[in-house]
Amino acid sequence: MDERVKTDMGGLAATLDFDAELMLRVKQGDGASFAILLEKHRLPVIHFLYRMVQNQAVAEELAQEVFLRVYRSRESYVPTAKFTTWLFRIATHLALNSLRDGKNRRLEDRLDDDSSDTPVRQVSDQRPTAEQNMVYQARLDEVRRAVAMLPEKQRAAVLMHKYEEMEYSQIAKVLNCSESAIKSLLFRAYETLRARLAHMA
Amino acid sequence: MNCPMESGGNSEHLLDYAAGRLKPGARAQMQEHVAACPVCREFAGGQRAVWQALDAWEPAAVSMDFDRRLYARIERHVSWWTRLTRPLNPLFRHAVPVVAAAGVVITAGLLLNRPAAVPAAPEHSAQVEVLQPEQVEHALDDMEMLRELNHLVPGNAAPRM
Repeated sequence: MDERVKTDMGGLAATLDFDAELMLRVKQGDGASFAILLEKHRLPVIHFLYRMVQNQAVAEELAQEVFLRVYRSRESYVPTAKFTTWLFRIATHLALNSLRDGKNRRLEDRLDDDSSDTPVRQVSDQRPTAEQNMVYQARLDEVRRAVAMLPEKQRAAVLMHKYEEMEYSQIAKVLNCSESAIKSLLFRAYETLRARLAHMA
Repeated sequence: MNCPMESGGNSEHLLDYAAGRLKPGARAQMQEHVAACPVCREFAGGQRAVWQALDAWEPAAVSMDFDRRLYARIERHVSWWTRLTRPLNPLFRHAVPVVAAAGVVITAGLLLNRPAAVPAAPEHSAQVEVLQPEQVEHALDDMEMLRELNHLVPGNAAPRM
């Protein structure tokens, strides 16, 4: 489906992404369009926040705040950028604030905690043995720890680049940096991760 | 092609190559370079390992009541006026056309049944004179006198039975 539609805004033809078009409908009072946006972006936003703060409950709480802000900003919404750029700018801002405020538990507590945050592996035909589970958990903890140790901005950039498959230009807009600064930021971040995770290959 | 590691400015191409995000043409070119350049080969290998490690990090499942909680929070932020008037909205929706139609009918009726315009009284209209009792008495006397005179005239005498 072509996600770009042409919309006439105040006489000026602007090319908007489909999400921005939906958001303009929300602005006009269309609640169904908000439900579509929520359905489409709920998981990416929660997953991004979860990997940022590494706590599922905090991630969901922050995601609620993200969508609440989207809804409350509907009347002043102006589609100056891609909708996802705006959405992830809100999410990143909240995540960074949360990390700085220390709202979520300390990393060590989280990693030692045997909580429900750990994803349940879907195994179709073979159950993993206890040993395989332990290996998986150990690897997962190592990945989480390596990502958590990155500086916050590098972490956000890596998560958007790796999991959201965002372009450098979009990450730059989300983090309010130049594109060259983001490329350099990502290069340094991956360099750190290579040093910590390369042995896992 | 120039070595991305040496030129520095194209290092993102190497990241994209390791992530499998390069377009076919650029990918083939990079593949050729990586095969010949040990520095880039090592970089690409390490980057692929990072990529695979990150792939293993699956997020946890989202709470079933996420949307319900969100809509409840949205509801809490709705203004008191909107909340107050919301139950009346269906009523307003149905009542407004009825009231509007009734208004039109009443206005039309008033316009059609408007009393005929009373012409403005001329400035110097005839005024009713106030009669005095003496004048009335005189008038009645005159009438009596005329009746009597009428009897005296032969042609006007009332026929006798």
